[in-house]
Amino acid sequence: MIRKSLFAGGGLVAVLVAAAVLAARPATQAQDVADASGDEPSQPIQFRHDLHAGQFRIDCQYCHFSAERSVDAGIPPVETCIGCHREGLVAGRTVPDEVAKVREHFESGTPIPWRRIYKVSDHVKFPHMRHVAAGVTCQTCHGEVQEMGVLEEVAPEAGGLKMGWCVSCHLERGASRDCTVCHY
Amino acid sequence: MAGSGKARGGMERRGFLKTASAGGAGAALAGCGADTVERLIPYVTAPEEITPGVATWYATVCGECPSACGVRVRTREGRAVMIEGNPDHPVSRGGLCSRGVSALQGLYDPDRVASPLRAAGEGFEPVSWDEAMDMVAQRLGGQGRALFLTGRKGPAEAELLNRFVEAVGGLRLILDPLDDVALRAAADVAFGVKALPRYDMAAARHLVSFGADFLETWVSPSGFSADFATLHGVDHGEKGRFVFVGPRLSLTGLNADEWIPAKAGSEADVALALAGELVRNHRADAGPYSGLVEGRTLAGAAQAAGVPEDRLAELAELFAEGDVLALGPGLAGHHGAATAANLAVLVLNVAAGNLGRALHVPSAPDSEAASPRRDVARAVEQMGAGGFDVAVVAGANPVYALPPATGFEAAFDRASFKIAFASALDETAAKADLVLPDAHALESWGDSEPAAGAYAVRQPVMRPVPLFDSRAMADVLIDAGRRLGHDLGAESARDFVRQAADARLDDLGVGGADRETRWRRLLRKGAAPATEAAGPAGPGTGDATALRPPAMAVDFEAPSLEGPGDLALLVHPSPRFGDGTHANRPWLQELPDPVSKIMWHSWLEMHPATAERLGIRREGEVVRVASPHDALELPVWFHPGIREDAVAIPMGGGHDNYGRFANGHGVNPQRLLPDAEDATSGARSVVSVRVEVTPTGAWRRLASTEGTRDVHHHQDERNIALAVALSSMGHGEGDEDHADEGGHGQLQELQQGGGFVPVPTEGKAADFPLPGSDFGEYGEPHPRWAMAVDLDRCTGCSACVTACQAENNIPWVEEREVLNGREMHWLRIERYYETVDAADGGELDVRFLPMMCQHCNNAPCEPVCPVFAAYHTPDGLNAQAYNRCVGTRYCANNCPYKVRVFNWYRYASENIPEPMNWQFNPDVTVRDNGVMEKCTFCVQRIRDAGNRAALEGREVRDGEVRTACQSVCGSDAITFGNIKDPESTVAAMAADERAYRVLDALINTQPAVHYLKKAVFHEVDEGAH
Repeated sequence: MIRKSLFAGGGLVAVLVAAAVLAARPATQAQDVADASGDEPSQPIQFRHDLHAGQFRIDCQYCHFSAERSVDAGIPPVETCIGCHREGLVAGRTVPDEVAKVREHFESGTPIPWRRIYKVSDHVKFPHMRHVAAGVTCQTCHGEVQEMGVLEEVAPEAGGLKMGWCVSCHLERGASRDCTVCHY
Repeated sequence: MAGSGKARGGMERRGFLKTASAGGAGAALAGCGADTVERLIPYVTAPEEITPGVATWYATVCGECPSACGVRVRTREGRAVMIEGNPDHPVSRGGLCSRGVSALQGLYDPDRVASPLRAAGEGFEPVSWDEAMDMVAQRLGGQGRALFLTGRKGPAEAELLNRFVEAVGGLRLILDPLDDVALRAAADVAFGVKALPRYDMAAARHLVSFGADFLETWVSPSGFSADFATLHGVDHGEKGRFVFVGPRLSLTGLNADEWIPAKAGSEADVALALAGELVRNHRADAGPYSGLVEGRTLAGAAQAAGVPEDRLAELAELFAEGDVLALGPGLAGHHGAATAANLAVLVLNVAAGNLGRALHVPSAPDSEAASPRRDVARAVEQMGAGGFDVAVVAGANPVYALPPATGFEAAFDRASFKIAFASALDETAAKADLVLPDAHALESWGDSEPAAGAYAVRQPVMRPVPLFDSRAMADVLIDAGRRLGHDLGAESARDFVRQAADARLDDLGVGGADRETRWRRLLRKGAAPATEAAGPAGPGTGDATALRPPAMAVDFEAPSLEGPGDLALLVHPSPRFGDGTHANRPWLQELPDPVSKIMWHSWLEMHPATAERLGIRREGEVVRVASPHDALELPVWFHPGIREDAVAIPMGGGHDNYGRFANGHGVNPQRLLPDAEDATSGARSVVSVRVEVTPTGAWRRLASTEGTRDVHHHQDERNIALAVALSSMGHGEGDEDHADEGGHGQLQELQQGGGFVPVPTEGKAADFPLPGSDFGEYGEPHPRWAMAVDLDRCTGCSACVTACQAENNIPWVEEREVLNGREMHWLRIERYYETVDAADGGELDVRFLPMMCQHCNNAPCEPVCPVFAAYHTPDGLNAQAYNRCVGTRYCANNCPYKVRVFNWYRYASENIPEPMNWQFNPDVTVRDNGVMEKCTFCVQRIRDAGNRAALEGREVRDGEVRTACQSVCGSDAITFGNIKDPESTVAAMAADERAYRVLDALINTQPAVHYLKKAVFHEVDEGAH
């Protein structure tokens, strides 16, 4: 698993919840239940970061609620979406299809199976809270999310979200370069 | 499924209990490959208690045995991943044994029953809970009688069970092969209360055990470990003396300072003679037994016990000094005269003045006590004759745990309908007509009374593992009661426990703003009152003040053993499996037995001299052990700590229908035993036959760590586990004793020879990094993590080994790979026999040493790594970067401590079946094959504490980082911290006069682990320590 992740193009930075749980899964469990078509899958709901984070200027941590205090940034529970998208919140507005889907999920009690975009390898620990506390913006690793209609993995100039890129930032900022800061 | 928003059974913490299903979904979808699409499953409604990535802890009670220790369970995203001792618990005080830690593997046992099962043809077919409950109601609602065979339960569950049994007009018998029935009976004869006495070691100076394995399985091992450490741990140059009397040194026995190898069954002779000495020579009072004991002489006892009279005279002198507490004999004394043996030890305690001081007699009889053998035999007979229409088995496995001589299996077959509450399909459940999957203790409600005046609640720490459609027995009983029209007084198990807790806390006078606040505090703390308030002898002890004249005649004659052989067979509880209940746990199967260091199979313990007499030339020869009842074949292991006229087999092996990890491993010694009892108490005899041992000519290699990885019988001249004579302690300055830490002259020489930067250093752990190697981050201020292990407190119980395995995702490799020397423990307990004499007894010196990565400051593994995977961190850890490791194994070759282990196959990914891998610690990388690994000082906990401290803008506090091994240690032998902080406990320990570092003087490794020498009563040869 270690090798596989190392050399098979892993090394991306996770933003979403459950990273730590997943980090401990052995490789044999690596099965995806959806997207049997093999096509590049899209998100089950066309959530638009450009509207929410861009146009409406909702703080990232309103939804990604644990970034400040946990290794995981947290993906919002469906309840968080519903908090704003309640019936009749905006009178007279028709409900877009995508919001209707969210309501369906909430009413039927089924979680939304988001497609994972960012993931670090299993042997990498990325504590979000330390980076938030150090004033690293979300955009540093995740790109200009507030401008993205469809969230995509951003590969910075230094050749992708790989260890070299992490280390160069740690060097610049005088953060530790010790292996066991991230690998254990 | 996460979003149903409805919790079962009206549970209050709805959010929390909902979470496991979200975790389960995550598990099913988990993937690591870069090529596959991975899904992220959010909650529909987020539970308040859970922050993703942050552990949530629950205080609860361990359900693995009736001692019910306090535990704290770490959950991540609604899933239990680690279990540790609860320091707030009044009895266990932070300790937890290996079996307790392995509760996690019971929870995620792949062999758990997935749904109710109905017998169909040769096998079973799944049925719904509704159908199953209909069957239960129909069968128990009939006119026939029902027999309930259950384990010992906590007070609330027991009360519920008793109400139910009464309502349906059944008979309940309690089966617990390890319960000390004879001691309870003896307390009844002596004091008129049928209850286990409470022992307060803090009130005693010295300790004598007549065979009781109080550090392993007897009564409350974790609690006794803490007590024993206080009594026996050296403090200001003094420590209590521990004498072990009995034919075989169990793990408890190996911790003694002196061994009197008395014959099996001679406990009463020895105890009465010692009491006689006190009465005759020291005006002690043995009440109505004075006349009896006065007639007993040491000479007579010495002859009966087969030991030199001098030994007993020395022991008598110790008793004359005062404050000597006698324990036992426990299960080792469950023979034909078990009550007499227990009574004799109680009489001795009274004569020694312990009553009301170190020995307390509860005011009320124990309500949950194992039924005497004769009651069980009568019920079995009736069942065989068709006297019971329904037989219900819950929390017991009589087909396995009772000797076949009892005829239980055949009788059980004759019950017309058999119901089993069972977690896994064990030998008994496999014969049932209806199997009801029982919820694990970590998933269900219950309570316990750990000590007089104390109360603890067991709360579920997660929603039941979704793969298994299990229900708690208490909930099933309430449901069955409802269907039959019996009101058991509560709507759910939780309600019932809540009511019981309210009543009990009222009784105890535990205050609180209101009942709700008080209840919440109880759940948070795990026990009330917490440690500081009541010790083991708190209010509620009746404290009999004198012995009562015996209401019945007790015969103090030594028991006779049955059978034609010449070797007494000592069947004893296993410190790993107890009576066999825990055999389906791979952590425990692969835990080296604390005494024999053998894994996965059974062995016959035999003195080397006996082996020579029988023509057995080497360990591992397979012998045939024949009693009048059956014969078994198993390999021999040589133990210098067993009398020459006895052999021993541990319980727990030989399952044939339990689970994949238990089946086919070892033998079940119950097969050799008769259906016999002690006449007075009805306690089932465990030590009751003689056996004939004959070599079969076959041989097998023992699956043992001994001799394979530097664990020799003897230390040779290497000086690994050191001791210091008490008499030589406290002289001179502490630092003088550090001479053996030296060797710095050699270091300088090496450096001048090239390779090292020559630097002046005292070589102390806090001095590193050395000047000249302080480049970059290494020049910045950092803590220096270090450990101290007190060998004087370590009992070798090996709980730390299992805790380490649980915390660090260490796989087991199974028997075949153990035989190839590929076991993967990061921490092992080395056991060294220094002085053991089974013929004459006397001074005993056996040393235990927990060996883990020493995090050498001058580490031999680091310079040989071609890829810098093994290197030193600025904060003093010897790190292993898994992702750098290419598997040359040079580091392991160069490690003088042999603590590096190599993952040869995909043990972690392929050996560990779903859902046992749900226990994986998400904070630790799961290593695959081809990678070297070893103790990291629980770096994930260091980093976690560092992260927390950084967010709060402070330094990590002393004691904030607790390693996994430390967090279960019942005797507080392990300390961890920043040795650069002069105020830290670890720095103080490292400066102790007993401190030394293993092999440091020889090879200059400058380890970060400091051991504190064991303090012994005898003189220690300075040359060899």
